[in-house]
Amino acid sequence: MKSDKNNLPDKNGFFGEYGGKFVPETLMYALEELETTYEKLKNNNEFKKQFYKDLSEFVGRPSPLYFAERLTKHYGTGSIWLKREDLNHTGAHKINNTIGQILLAKYMGKKRIIAETGAGQHGVATATVAARLGLECHIYMGSEDVQRQSLNVYRIKLLGAQVHSVDSGSATLKDALNEALRDWVTNVDDTYYIIGSVTGPHPYPMIVRDFNSVVGEELISQSKELFNSMPDAIVACVGGGSNAMGAFYPFIKFNETRLIGVEAGGEGVETGEHAAPLNDGTPGVLHGALSYLMQDDSGQVKGTKSVSAGLDYPGVGPEHSWLKDSGRAEYVAVSDDAALKAFHEVSELEGIIPALETAHAFAYLDTLMKEFDKNSNIIVNVSGRGDKDINTVANIDGIKI
Amino acid sequence: MNRLTNTLENLKNKSKKALVAYLVAGDPDIETTLELMMMLVDSGVDIIEIGVPFTDPIAEGPIIQKAHDRALKNNVTLKSIFEMAQKYRENDNKTPLVLMGYLNTFIFNKTLIEDNKNNVIDSVLVVDIPGELNLKDYGVYNPNINTISLISPTTKKDRIKSIAKNSSGFVYYVTLRGVTGASNLDVNEISNNVEEIKKHASVPTLAGFGIKSPEDAKLLSQHSDGVIIGSSIVQMIEEGSQSKEFDRIRTYITDIKKAIS
Repeated sequence: MKSDKNNLPDKNGFFGEYGGKFVPETLMYALEELETTYEKLKNNNEFKKQFYKDLSEFVGRPSPLYFAERLTKHYGTGSIWLKREDLNHTGAHKINNTIGQILLAKYMGKKRIIAETGAGQHGVATATVAARLGLECHIYMGSEDVQRQSLNVYRIKLLGAQVHSVDSGSATLKDALNEALRDWVTNVDDTYYIIGSVTGPHPYPMIVRDFNSVVGEELISQSKELFNSMPDAIVACVGGGSNAMGAFYPFIKFNETRLIGVEAGGEGVETGEHAAPLNDGTPGVLHGALSYLMQDDSGQVKGTKSVSAGLDYPGVGPEHSWLKDSGRAEYVAVSDDAALKAFHEVSELEGIIPALETAHAFAYLDTLMKEFDKNSNIIVNVSGRGDKDINTVANIDGIKI
Repeated sequence: MNRLTNTLENLKNKSKKALVAYLVAGDPDIETTLELMMMLVDSGVDIIEIGVPFTDPIAEGPIIQKAHDRALKNNVTLKSIFEMAQKYRENDNKTPLVLMGYLNTFIFNKTLIEDNKNNVIDSVLVVDIPGELNLKDYGVYNPNINTISLISPTTKKDRIKSIAKNSSGFVYYVTLRGVTGASNLDVNEISNNVEEIKKHASVPTLAGFGIKSPEDAKLLSQHSDGVIIGSSIVQMIEEGSQSKEFDRIRTYITDIKKAIS
């Protein structure tokens, strides 16, 4: 492993061979402006003070690290601990990043906020912080996701933002990102684009990771306090990969902690009907970055399949690609069926209804817990709560609400 | 000599403006694209820009996005586009052919560009890379294919300089903040920026994005070495694709040509 592993990306925005800045020329100045602003502010005490104050008073951080007693008993091996990002204001880890980025937008004097969203959690988190500052806000969402995440669509509207339903392509998260980028190209002078994951062109993967790293930073001190050692493993779901990256990043230097990302296996990785580029993709360029990508044999981006709107994305953040190739993190996939089973199990065993995205991380415990003994400590990053998924799950179970 | 360089020099020597037409390969089908290319040249087009369809064309407006989708439904690939260009060359070995597309397609199909069998393609324009970089920086290189870089209204002066120097075909000045087919041209800004580009570029500067009417074309040709027309043509192709009736395009191109002469 390279010695500068904690200092990535490099000045051109690369994590090893992954990342970079692949955008239409019109956006180059906006990315440079963002990078300059961020570099100036990230170590500024006033800025940091404001960020942590908002996280504490508005989001309710730190989120607890909670011992999952019945889940632990269920597997009968190591202790399972839950990082409760589901308890954050707006119900997921997504708010950490938006709190930080809206401060950047404010500092840069931008009047208009845009964002893409898949499951709607990032849309809600963005609409929330925009409302708080009284900024105009537009959320792009694939029309298929508008259907399956209707509750979040209404939440976004209640918060005063406009939802733009995107019909092009596969009408999911990737197409919402395309449309947000097109909006940005058109309105680049007064618009700030809050990307919701560790994806997109440099400096976004770095910025989103840094703001979300509050999760991993808290885990370090909570682990010491609660079980007096570093955890043996951290498990998190990976779509674009922001919740995983936020939890993993501060642990990259602690080799004793296994970092495990769980992708959406859809109908099974072997069927090709999934959203697991790190398990079954090849390097390619999408949405401004070079990273593992699901593509066909002529270089077109393949359609994805996942029960979870938030993981239904053919690409992944470039730092994950680097972590995979360097061997520091492991990436696995679980199927829709396994995730749905875990969704029910965790709800009944722990009194916590996880988001369908998060349910993927839980589902992998079936395999993982066999590898650990009673003295080990495993952390699951509970990236979000499942209220938004009630309709989807009820439909699958044949129940009409 | 490269057909593009040659054509641009000839036009310059005659103090004429270049007319570039864009269409998406395989929209509505490869056969029709071939016929349309012949017709465009027949009507006065100097250079053809062939859109290489991609699933996620982030710089395109709705008209061209839909054309990409239609072409992809026909399973058009970069390989079939090279085959199409090969056929085209049987009848026209003079008109420069430029491929315009997205980076992933070109790096994925690297060998097609490097081979460029019989030198049918003259230039490549990659929409989603910074102006000062070109395919060579991504490990795809063919000395006989030159590169076209984009400069936009938001490009800062110091970068204009390095991008202009990097372009070997022509400099493509993006006339607006937006996607293809939008309509918010600011002639003053265009004129100032093109002037700045011309200070540094050794190749001509052409203007594109948002040029629709012969009046737009005339106005912009006064501030540049030529114009690129895309969305209007693609829209007419869509509208004529059922009846295979494309005479409107012929009339339209003839009018544009007249306007910039």
